[in-house]
Amino acid sequence: MKQHHLLGIMLFSLIFTSHSLAAESITLPKGILKLSPYPAPRTTLDDLDGETYTLKQDKGAWVFVHFWASWCGPCREEMPAIQNMMSTLQAEGLKIAMINTAEDEDTVFSFLSAYAPDIRPLMDRDGQVTEKWRPRGLPATYLVDPNGQVRYQALGGRAWDTLPYITFLRGLMK
Amino acid sequence: MLYLLKLAIFKTLMQIRTILLQSTAGLLSLFLAAPGGADTLPHYDSPELEVGLMPRAPQQVAAFYEARGFSKPMIERLKQQCFITVWVHNKSQNIIWLDLARWKFSNLTGNVTRRDRHYWKAVWHNMQIPLAYQSTFRWTLLPETLDFQPEEREGGNIVLPRSDHPMQIHASFPTKADKSGIPITVIFNNIECAKDP
Repeated sequence: MKQHHLLGIMLFSLIFTSHSLAAESITLPKGILKLSPYPAPRTTLDDLDGETYTLKQDKGAWVFVHFWASWCGPCREEMPAIQNMMSTLQAEGLKIAMINTAEDEDTVFSFLSAYAPDIRPLMDRDGQVTEKWRPRGLPATYLVDPNGQVRYQALGGRAWDTLPYITFLRGLMK
Repeated sequence: MLYLLKLAIFKTLMQIRTILLQSTAGLLSLFLAAPGGADTLPHYDSPELEVGLMPRAPQQVAAFYEARGFSKPMIERLKQQCFITVWVHNKSQNIIWLDLARWKFSNLTGNVTRRDRHYWKAVWHNMQIPLAYQSTFRWTLLPETLDFQPEEREGGNIVLPRSDHPMQIHASFPTKADKSGIPITVIFNNIECAKDP
């Protein structure tokens, strides 16, 4: 029993260290801030179909956590780039949590149908989950590592479907 | 599955609506977007920092928040204020702080007190405004403090009591991560609350 416990700890340390090392050695594209790691705030939200998502369920993978609103100009500009990036990297293991801040279903549905129909939004209906993450502004993107630690933050909107960002995200997942 | 089905039906309708949405979106983004080529707007530009101001007329404010579903009492309250949209761009390779507590607003009658997040929290609480609208409103305000990273841009509104007197805005931006650097001071004179045409 004790041996199993020890083996478990060693395995966890090995995984944790390898993720940390991968994240350490990556070149940061423009506008990506490296953070001192901290636990991601608890995040449980429903999507438009009423299915519940919790950030915890994506533990073991890198998660792209994005906050947006339809009224925010840079959010609108950035959304197609996120959809393009998503279509490439989701299949490679990147998890995506697209969180709408404090808007209603009709607004979100209309907006995404026009700008990024493949994105499945999570509804932060009263904006309180967004508050817990304390973004610098909208849009806001965080990258959460497989251990549930927030490791990077993007400043404003980014061209996520361009080579520097795709390479960066791929580098994290190695 | 339900979402995809809904989406397929909706897409057809959206082709028409998209045209409408895009034209509206252009208008809405104008509310918080940086001014392009607006030479007459109050503007400060140096090798380190760029700051721009755009006073908003009550009709502009009402149109923006009405489109976000704000109730009539909220809109009426907001129309009575003096809204100024502010953009800040840190052009340097160092940290520059936005700290609104270090901004002074004054006119001929004396100091003008900015209506900050605490003020609005109390107002919305008393009016029993749903949290979603309170949250949206907060996100349209300029952050109280923010350590602007190299090349970072952010914008948002500051809200002041409406007055006919031109104002002076004295904005101090601390520098360096620990705010120990020489602050950058920006002074805007003769700032007026925008009126409806």
